[in-house]
Amino acid sequence: MVSEAKLSHTAAIILQAISSGCVYGFSIMEMTGLPSGTVYPAMRRLERDQLISSRWERQSIADAEQRPARKYYKLTSTGRTTLEASRKRYPLLERMIPSEEARSL
Amino acid sequence: MSSALRSALGGMNRGILHCASRLVPREQRADWLREWNAELWHMRRSCPPVDGFGWKSEGVAAAFCLGAFQDAFCVRHLCRQGSQAGSSQHGSARECLLCLGGLLAVSYILACVLPGVSMESHPSHYQLKPGLVLLQSELFTDSSAATIHGQQFLDLKASRQRGIDGLAFYRMAKETVSTGVDAKPKWRVAHASLSLFALLGAPATFSAVSNEPAGAVPTVVLSDELWRRQFGGNPKVIGSVVRVGRNAAKVLGVLPRGSWRLPGRADAWLLQPDSQIPRGAVGYVVAHLTRFGRSEIYDERVHINGFVPDDPDEDLWGVSFGERTRGPWTIFRFAIFLAFLALPAITSVSLGESCFSSHRPSLMKNLYRWIFLGTKIALLLSIAYFASLDLSYWNATGYSELSEYAQLASSFFICLFGMRWVLLDQRERCPVCLRRVTHPAQVGQASRTFLAWNGTELICTSGHTLLHVPGLPTSWFGTQRWMYLDTSWKFLFAGTGVG
Repeated sequence: MVSEAKLSHTAAIILQAISSGCVYGFSIMEMTGLPSGTVYPAMRRLERDQLISSRWERQSIADAEQRPARKYYKLTSTGRTTLEASRKRYPLLERMIPSEEARSL
Repeated sequence: MSSALRSALGGMNRGILHCASRLVPREQRADWLREWNAELWHMRRSCPPVDGFGWKSEGVAAAFCLGAFQDAFCVRHLCRQGSQAGSSQHGSARECLLCLGGLLAVSYILACVLPGVSMESHPSHYQLKPGLVLLQSELFTDSSAATIHGQQFLDLKASRQRGIDGLAFYRMAKETVSTGVDAKPKWRVAHASLSLFALLGAPATFSAVSNEPAGAVPTVVLSDELWRRQFGGNPKVIGSVVRVGRNAAKVLGVLPRGSWRLPGRADAWLLQPDSQIPRGAVGYVVAHLTRFGRSEIYDERVHINGFVPDDPDEDLWGVSFGERTRGPWTIFRFAIFLAFLALPAITSVSLGESCFSSHRPSLMKNLYRWIFLGTKIALLLSIAYFASLDLSYWNATGYSELSEYAQLASSFFICLFGMRWVLLDQRERCPVCLRRVTHPAQVGQASRTFLAWNGTELICTSGHTLLHVPGLPTSWFGTQRWMYLDTSWKFLFAGTGVG
């Protein structure tokens, strides 16, 4: 239910990146080319507005692979609806970052 | 060498992240530091250095770590914006209570500072002995008029009344007084029986009293106001001799401010033997009732045989001093009672509880709402009490019926219109967050009242509720109604928006 006008281009890119399978901060930075100082706060705001949700990976999995646990992000249903609306507003969005379905075709 | 350098740079990166985390608000700090460290680890894994060490990969890691400061500043900024948005909302419950508390503090401080108020608010200063009545001719209705002749008092005293065990007479007169200096001022002097203050129980409350035993010389008691005005509050005047009219009198003491509650305003009381009372002088008689006499009191009055030689049918009333010594609290309680009686005449006492949806605030929210209402009423009544005292006694130097009427009127109006404001304010407060609803919007047309809804719509700025107030109450929409907003409305109140 977030109005299209409120979603900035940066937020739309991040939503598109998450939709394309980049599910943690650094991969989104790599995919979008945005610096960390932009990506992480933007993701917090998207989370606050319930467009994305995050969860920490279970510590047991991370321990088994001998690495620190990561925080994963995914789109919520509201986020998906908003992203659809944003794609109409920013037509090049999907061409810049193809979604998982488009890449698999 | 390269591993040592890499280890040192790793430590430096962790230090940078730690420093950046100090800028993040405490409650979010651990989460941010954990995510940065995890991301840094994975970033280093995804950009492995060639031959164990690479400036490029270290540069990427350093850029990431320095970016953490930008994250932290951004988070701080967002948190500050959030708290400012929360605190800048006018009409919050806290703001309302603070305003009322401020008013109460001001009125209380004034009450403590004003001498008239502090005198009146301590009933122990002017309480009289129980069983005292003022005798008055039953032909007079004015309780402050002098109605008893000197001869009648002496006759009364000579007769053995079953219900009376003490009598004192006083009459008011203006006398020229010589205090030893050139000017000869005129005082309002009460010529009183020697037993007057003993009967009233007042001597114990003299603020200053002569240590010398009373002799043949008449004595005079000064009022506190006169003592300060005429003698500058000099304690040495106690025991000195002044000339009041034709009598030389020794100053016995000073009566504290506000202690004199009987009719007649006096600057001084000249105490004389009853043998010196002029037979034709008209004055007041104070009587102390026995237990039997007190049992005869009905509606603050008791009937006394008059012993008037010329008119054997003229009897006396003994009027209780209860009205004069009841204190401001009794008057205030009566004013509250009147205000609550009159309240439905000027506003609806309903709080507008009906709502469109089945959703209701939780029991705890309801409890907070009622506690808030109760607190407002308690603060308002306290303000009304002290403010009415301030208004009525700000310039009072002693007891006056006018001040009592002023207190009754001012506390009545403050309570009445204050309660009206309390109810109106409560009706316009969101039941969820207790903030005042704002942004009134006229909806519908008055000409279509019976076809469609017409009235004013107000909204809670926190996005909890809509308030519908009918423009013209109808049988199907008589009082205001609340509509509780669900989460689908939340985006309207998102503040700065997304991204």
